[in-house]
Amino acid sequence: MAPAQRCSICRQTFFCGRGHVYSRKHQRQLKVALERLLPQVEAARKATRAAQVERYVPEHERCCWCLCCGCEVRKHLSHGNLTVLYGGLLEHLASPEHKKATNKFWWENKAEFQMKEKFLISPQDYARFKKSMVKSLDSYEEKEDEVIKEMAAQIREVEHSRQEVVRSVLEPQAVPDPEEGSSAPGQWKGTNSQVASASQQPSYLDLPPAPELDWMETGQPLTFIGHQDTPGVGNIHSGATPPWMVQDEEYSSGNQQIGPSYEEFLKEKEKQKLKKLPPDRVGANFDHSSSTGAGWLPSFGRVWNNGRRWQSRHQFKTEAAARNKHQQSHTYYCLL
Amino acid sequence: MKTSAAVTDSEDRYLCYFNMSFLLPKLSSKKEVDQAIKSTAEKVLVLRFGRDEDPVCLQLDDILSKTSSDLSKMATIYLVDVDQTPVYTHYFDISYIPSTVFFFNGQHMKVDYGSPDHTKFVGSFKTKQDFIDLIEVIYRGAMRGKLIVQSPIDPKNIPKYDLLYQDI
Repeated sequence: MAPAQRCSICRQTFFCGRGHVYSRKHQRQLKVALERLLPQVEAARKATRAAQVERYVPEHERCCWCLCCGCEVRKHLSHGNLTVLYGGLLEHLASPEHKKATNKFWWENKAEFQMKEKFLISPQDYARFKKSMVKSLDSYEEKEDEVIKEMAAQIREVEHSRQEVVRSVLEPQAVPDPEEGSSAPGQWKGTNSQVASASQQPSYLDLPPAPELDWMETGQPLTFIGHQDTPGVGNIHSGATPPWMVQDEEYSSGNQQIGPSYEEFLKEKEKQKLKKLPPDRVGANFDHSSSTGAGWLPSFGRVWNNGRRWQSRHQFKTEAAARNKHQQSHTYYCLL
Repeated sequence: MKTSAAVTDSEDRYLCYFNMSFLLPKLSSKKEVDQAIKSTAEKVLVLRFGRDEDPVCLQLDDILSKTSSDLSKMATIYLVDVDQTPVYTHYFDISYIPSTVFFFNGQHMKVDYGSPDHTKFVGSFKTKQDFIDLIEVIYRGAMRGKLIVQSPIDPKNIPKYDLLYQDI
């Protein structure tokens, strides 16, 4: 019997040699797999003629599975900030190991011979790709430089307009005349509307003219008001009592007023909770504030059959006497 | 170098252009601050410790006043003068102004801004949105019972200063 062999295309183990390779199912699976791989290879082939360079994006970390070699291959080639599209894949496709693996794959799986060429990239193609890659890298760099120069020019423009605005505002300040003063706000408004929409209007004269751009570096330093360091007294870091919790003398009388109302409030809360319980539960109308005497449990003398009968009778008689006396005094009281 | 008279003149002249749509209430004594802390219920209490004329305080007050109406359901904001409440200035170890302290239901709320001091926010906020986000995070944290929350503000927008009280 032939050794067990696993076919990765059918994802099955066969025990009768590679005969299944000629079956329809295998050929169908093979076709599907190759069709999946073909578009990637075609895209890479297109890139040999016109290589594209782009800024690096984490998407460029994607890998492609090479069916013939049975390994994952980095699709795009990235270095630093830039990526060359399909660089990695092309490198792999042009390598001799891939050629050998492709040949082996084709022989083992009995795929169509004409299809094989499509999955290979010749070394000449690869050389052509490298040339076009160099060219596109250069042009990308040029473009980046242009963009940076444009941005710098824009920033310079904005800065300049801001300086103008501040200058025009500071000039009227030199003359403290009310008439001049009333015309200056008009000027201020006018220059404000002229300033480009990109800049924020400085609403306070005390602030530096470009507060947005370098807020952290040239922003106003914070006013220092002295070390709050009295050695005897504690502060928040040392865990002293907060000033609002410290009881002042005047507050002691005020506290008494707050006391009962807070307790009442808690009671109200409890009562509201009770309202949610079913109204006809056991003991719903139990009066919690009624006092209970010692004799609230019914007693028949001694309950357990422990001790002699006369002891139990004796106990019962004393209790009955006490109860009767108590009842008697009650009825006399009521009659009165 | 401007003289102080010229400065006040210019401020008077341009006062009408400062957007004081909501003039923030001020507290000027320890008792008033105590009262505010104890009586603000179910809302974040924001106390700005500083001086009204200080430029960074002005910037912060502008942000506070512009956002106070939007945040009226979540927060109440007061301005406190550090010179008039020395007890609080000392208790909160306020060495740089403006410093902003947050409370909820009489409890001091701490916020981790990425700076060494979690008990107060020193300096001004860069944008109104930063302040609004911070208030929202404090409110939500307080509603869940947290006494310290993580600040949502980008650390590079937090003003840097030297920590003085280092041996806690």
